[in-house]
Amino acid sequence: MISFASFPATSEASGSYGTARHHPDVEDDVHMDLDDDDFEEGVQRLTVPGESITSSHAFMRGHGTYVDNEEVIASVAGTVERVNKLITVRAVRSRYNPEVGDLVVGRITEVQPRRWKVDANSRQDAVLMLSSVNLPGGIQRRKVESDELQMRTFFEEGDLLVAEVQAFFADGAMSLHTRSLRYGKLRNGQLVTVPPILIRRLKSHFVSLPCGVDLILGLNGYIWVSKHVKQSEQEGEEGFDAEAVYSNKNDEIDDATRAAIARVCNIIKVLAAHFVPLTDVVLLEAYEWAVDQENSVKDLLGDEVGENLVASIGLGIRP
Amino acid sequence: MAAVSLSKSERAYIQSSLKAHPPLRADGRGLLDFRTVLLETGVAPLANGSARLNIGKMAREGGGGTEVVAAVKLEVEDVETGDGVDGGRVVCSVTCSPAAYSHLSSNALDELQHDLSVILQQTIAHPTLHPTLHPKNLTIIPRKKAWLLNLDAVVLADAGNVVDALFMAARAALWDAKVPRTRAVQYRAPETLKSPRNDAPGAMDVDEGTSGFDTRDMARTAADFELPDYWDEGEVLDGRDKWPICVTLNLLPSVHLLDATLAEEASIPLRLHLMFSFAPSAPPILQSMRLLGPAELELKDLKDSIAVGERYAKELFTALESKLREEDNRRNIKARDRFALMR
Repeated sequence: MISFASFPATSEASGSYGTARHHPDVEDDVHMDLDDDDFEEGVQRLTVPGESITSSHAFMRGHGTYVDNEEVIASVAGTVERVNKLITVRAVRSRYNPEVGDLVVGRITEVQPRRWKVDANSRQDAVLMLSSVNLPGGIQRRKVESDELQMRTFFEEGDLLVAEVQAFFADGAMSLHTRSLRYGKLRNGQLVTVPPILIRRLKSHFVSLPCGVDLILGLNGYIWVSKHVKQSEQEGEEGFDAEAVYSNKNDEIDDATRAAIARVCNIIKVLAAHFVPLTDVVLLEAYEWAVDQENSVKDLLGDEVGENLVASIGLGIRP
Repeated sequence: MAAVSLSKSERAYIQSSLKAHPPLRADGRGLLDFRTVLLETGVAPLANGSARLNIGKMAREGGGGTEVVAAVKLEVEDVETGDGVDGGRVVCSVTCSPAAYSHLSSNALDELQHDLSVILQQTIAHPTLHPTLHPKNLTIIPRKKAWLLNLDAVVLADAGNVVDALFMAARAALWDAKVPRTRAVQYRAPETLKSPRNDAPGAMDVDEGTSGFDTRDMARTAADFELPDYWDEGEVLDGRDKWPICVTLNLLPSVHLLDATLAEEASIPLRLHLMFSFAPSAPPILQSMRLLGPAELELKDLKDSIAVGERYAKELFTALESKLREEDNRRNIKARDRFALMR
C-alpha cells in the first residue's frame, strides 16, 4: 500500500560540478576560444545563468540577458538566439509565450462583463470575449443582452476549453476565440500539464491514438486527454447544437477507455519528466511500447520503467 | 485543503472512474495505494531533529509532490518566572509557503496555516487531552528550568494529502530529535559538601571533586545547569514510539480512497482525518479525528471508517517506523565514517 524511499542523492551532481569550474584568473583563457564565434546559423548554443555570451560592444542585450562588465550575460538557462545585433536567450522552463494562431487549452478563472478570464499558463490571464465564442442558434448571430446575462451557461469558473490565440492586447495579454466547431468546452477526459517548451508545433494539435483516445496538445503545455469522438459527431454541420457544445455531462465511457486515458496520461508525465519533446509520433510509439510491456498503468510511473520507456523510443537525455 | 478549480465534467469523470469496477484513479493507482513517499531525517544541521518528506515526486522531475519540512528545536525556559511549565512543553506551528498556495490571498494563507497548526498542536501537544504523549525528559531542573520543544513544519508544496504528510514529517522530526544531556550545578561553600544526596532521582555518577562547583545531584536546590561534552548530540526524546500519525480517508459514498491528489480532493465531498498512535505493546489509541466537507456521514459508517482507518494507519505506521530505523542506521554509519576521517 505504501512504500518509502530516500531522496535521490545529490553528490554525483556536485561532483561533476566541481570538475567544470576554473579559477577566475584562468577562466578567461579557458573560454577565450569560445567567444564571439558560434552565432552561425543552425548552431544551437545552450547557456546557464550567469554565463557570459559575448561582448556588449558588438551586440545588444535582449530578453534573458543582462550586461555586466561590458559583457552580455545569460540570466536564464536556455538557447541563444540572435537577430542581427540583438542577443536573446529563450528559457528552457518558462511560462507560455503566446503567438497568434496558437492552439491553447485553458481554464476559466473569472466571469466578467462580456468576457471570460482564462488561465492559459501564460504570464497574464487570457481573455475570451463573448463576441468570440459561438452562440447557440447559429454561428452568424449577433449577441444580444440576454446572452450577457447568461454567460455562465456557456462557460463558468473552472471549465476547460480549447481555443485559438486571436490577437494581443496592448498590455500583452492574449485574446482567444472559439469560433470553430473544433474549439469549445472540454469533456470526457482529464488534463495533464507539461512544460510548454515540450509541445512542438504540429500540423494538427488534435491527435487521435488508435486506442480510442483523443489528445489535444495545447501549445501552452496543457494537454487534454479524452475519449475518442467520431468526426461526424464532432462536427454537427448546420445544426449547431448548443446543448452538446456547452454541456457539462460526460458521455458513457467504458473501463478500457478509462484505463487507456490513464495510461496515456502517465506516459506523458514520464516523457515530460525526462524532458522529451512531445509529438504524435512519439506518443504513439511510447503507447505501443507500454502496451507491449504489459505493465499496469501504475507501474509506468516507476523510475526504471520510465527510463526504459524513454530509451525504447530512442530519445531523451540520458544520465 | 487547497481549492483547485475543476470543471464539472472533470469532477464527474473522476467520480465515475472511482466508482467503476475495478476503480481507476487518474494516475492508475488503486484506491488504497499511496504515491511514493520520500523521507530523509537530519536535514537541518542546527535543529535538534528534522525531517524532509515528499509525497508523489516524479523520478528525475525537479519539483512536484507534496513537500513538508519539519524541525524540532529545543529552547530553555525558566519555570519560576512563569515562561515555562514544569516538565517542559511542546509547541507546534505550521507555515505554508506562499509558493505552494499561489492562488490564496495572504489572509486565506494565514487561516490555512492556523488550521494546520491547530490540528498538529491539539493532536500531539494538548496538555490535558493527550498527557500520555508528553515526553518525560524535557525537565532540566525540576520546578526551575525546562525545555520548550518547538516543532515547526513548513509546507513547501502541496499536491494533495498535506495533513498526512505533515504528521509523517512531524513524527520523523520528533523521532530524530535529541535532547542535550544536562547536569545541574550550584555554587556551595565547601563545608556544605559533606552530605551529598545520591539517592534522589536523576543521580549521576560524577567524580568527587573539591571544587566549589558541585555537579552532583542537586535536583532540588540546583540553580543552573551545564551541558557536558558528550560524543553524541544527546539522548532521544522520550516516548518516540508513541507519536501519532494521520491517515486521511477520502469518502465518496460507497468507496473511500487514500492519498488523494488535489484534483481528487476537490471532487470528493467528505474527508476524514484519523490520528492514531501505536505505542509498543499497547492497543492503538485514536488521538484525534476530524471530518471535513459538505456531505453527511452516518454514525454507523463513521464507525466502519474508523475501523478500516486503523488498519491503514497501522500499515502506514509500520512502513514509516522501518524507514525511520533505516535512516537512523544510515546516519550513524555516516557519522562514524566522518569520525574516522577526522581521527
